Amino acid sequence: MSVTPQLTSRPAHPFWHRLRLESVMGTPLRPEGIVSCSMLMFRVIFHLDMDAFYASVEQRDNPALRGRPVIVGTPPTQRGVVCAASYEARKFGVRSAMPSATADDYRKPDGLTLVPEKEKVQFLRPLPVRALYGVGRVTESILNREGLQTVGDLQDFPGDLRALVGSFGPTLKEFAFGHDDRPLESGDEIKSISGEETFLKDTDDRQVLRACLRQQAEDISARLKHRRLGAHTVQVKVRYGDFITLTRQISVEDPLTEAREIYRLGCFLLGREKLVSRPLRLLGLGVASLREPSGRQLFLL
Amino acid sequence: MNLTVSKEQIINGLQAVQNVVSTRTTLPILSNVLLHAQENRLEFTATDLDVTISCGVEAKVHKPGASTVPVRRLFSIVRELPNLDIDLEVDEKHACTIRSGASFYKIHGLSADEFPPLPAFNEEKKVTLSQETVRDMMRKTSFAMSTDESRYVLNGIYISLKDHKLTMVATDGRRLALADEEVEVVESSQGEFIVPSKTVNELNRLLQPKGGVEMHYAENQASFRLTGENPGAGDAILVITKLIEGNYPNYRQVIPSEMKERIALAREEFLHALRRAEIMTSEKSNSVKLSFGKNKLEITANSADIGEAKETLAVNYKGPDLAIAFNPKYMIDPLNALTQDEVFVELIDELSPGVLKINGPFLYVVMPMRLS
Repeated sequence: MSVTPQLTSRPAHPFWHRLRLESVMGTPLRPEGIVSCSMLMFRVIFHLDMDAFYASVEQRDNPALRGRPVIVGTPPTQRGVVCAASYEARKFGVRSAMPSATADDYRKPDGLTLVPEKEKVQFLRPLPVRALYGVGRVTESILNREGLQTVGDLQDFPGDLRALVGSFGPTLKEFAFGHDDRPLESGDEIKSISGEETFLKDTDDRQVLRACLRQQAEDISARLKHRRLGAHTVQVKVRYGDFITLTRQISVEDPLTEAREIYRLGCFLLGREKLVSRPLRLLGLGVASLREPSGRQLFLL
Repeated sequence: MNLTVSKEQIINGLQAVQNVVSTRTTLPILSNVLLHAQENRLEFTATDLDVTISCGVEAKVHKPGASTVPVRRLFSIVRELPNLDIDLEVDEKHACTIRSGASFYKIHGLSADEFPPLPAFNEEKKVTLSQETVRDMMRKTSFAMSTDESRYVLNGIYISLKDHKLTMVATDGRRLALADEEVEVVESSQGEFIVPSKTVNELNRLLQPKGGVEMHYAENQASFRLTGENPGAGDAILVITKLIEGNYPNYRQVIPSEMKERIALAREEFLHALRRAEIMTSEKSNSVKLSFGKNKLEITANSADIGEAKETLAVNYKGPDLAIAFNPKYMIDPLNALTQDEVFVELIDELSPGVLKINGPFLYVVMPMRLS
């Protein structure tokens, strides 16, 4: 099975109040599994992480694969991206390119963690600072330099974090204690549709690139039509052999649904920005600014 | 350079040329206007390298010469001067002194040698027309030009001079406007070219109901010399433009040959009804529906989040019930550009192109919207 990696928008950081259900493929979620929230003062966030998803699907369909390293992706003779890797495969250092749950490594796999409101501060203590939302590589190194390694260190820090991380300081302190009132984005509203392809060999062959864009435009068009959406923005993405990655976009007045138009604009962007100045490792095409049009303008030319 | 010019003349000259100057230019010289004084004439020239406009005005030239000064600053100063006469003097360091009554200004300019030279023409083709004709034809077509930069051949007006006819066409792929006029074109001057929208907009601004226009065109550039009622007088404006390179699409093939219904409509009444109905359209629901029934036309619009509109017009219609939806802008644009009292809408069915005509050499084809 070959699957195109799809980017799913992640819920806002669901660090506490969470119930994790992993590898749910064999265990359908039962209605009684949902807790009534009516009496709660605090909000409860369920986070379902379908980790190693495609690999789990394969293992379910084919029992012979269970307990064995499984990678879903490109055939081993070719270059490509790992779409999903089973836990057995991960022991060998195989990582998935899917950005699904990198910070949520608590008790994987089959982890089912319930963090009650009153225990959240304790729960957070041993976690690395990087686990908090808004702490990336740069902030992490600043905090580490001051001897702040864990969330517990942040909780105990007597000084003003603003001296270290500027205006993010007070928010960071709140996050360290598990206070986060940002609204949860459920991510069910589709914001963009895109596809991308990594080539077996870097290429600047116009025919190959055009065929690739055309296929992507057709896939996008089919998905737009399926959802009855029109797109007002087209974006292209290119990655060169040295992994330098560029994206360029154009906005249009009329909602786009037709593959022909999406393809044409993709070609136009590549040409206008002279993006195929050297061979490409990856070419991607996407649409955004999606709206539900009430009618479709027909074209003369 | 040393001269005296009236406020009115300098304003006229600067207004004719300064629009072409881009506000974000990488070359400082392109923010400047070239001043060229000789005999009893002061000539202003501005360019963005794609379009160049020159305009000459009367002036008392005491010492001829040429220089350049920042055009917007010069214009801002002279516009505010209270006196009628302005003395302009430019020294060898390109400092421009403006004196008028009790006002004294000095602005720093750049050498005229740095100003891009006017493009030269060889083997040009030419035709002379009245400004009124060209203005009228451009007004009737320019609104349909495409602004979609990815369809750059459509970002202008296609002009054809063939078979004793001047034809102008503009389209954005959804609608197409065409105007033609009989003119005498000698065999050697026949041809076709695409004038970019920026130039068209400048011409729309500059063309007058009087006077003539001399059109010259070559492979990749064209010029329009606008002369007053008395050719040879000092107030000529010259517009030189690069042309859009590429092949204009075969527009003839999208003009439907046989229409089923033809409905005469009072232009103003139709236009105002559409304008009102348009108020009830939205980004999500940007169509108006034209429903033709026995001797009436209903124009309806509705948006779930705004409300609805219904306009009823009495028309002479005997055909079967027919409803067709359009983007209202695509109907309003040509009705705005036209001046005739009566227009004719021709239709086939709800998904075929609609046609708008007048009693005259004009044709407008517009694709409907398919409602979901």
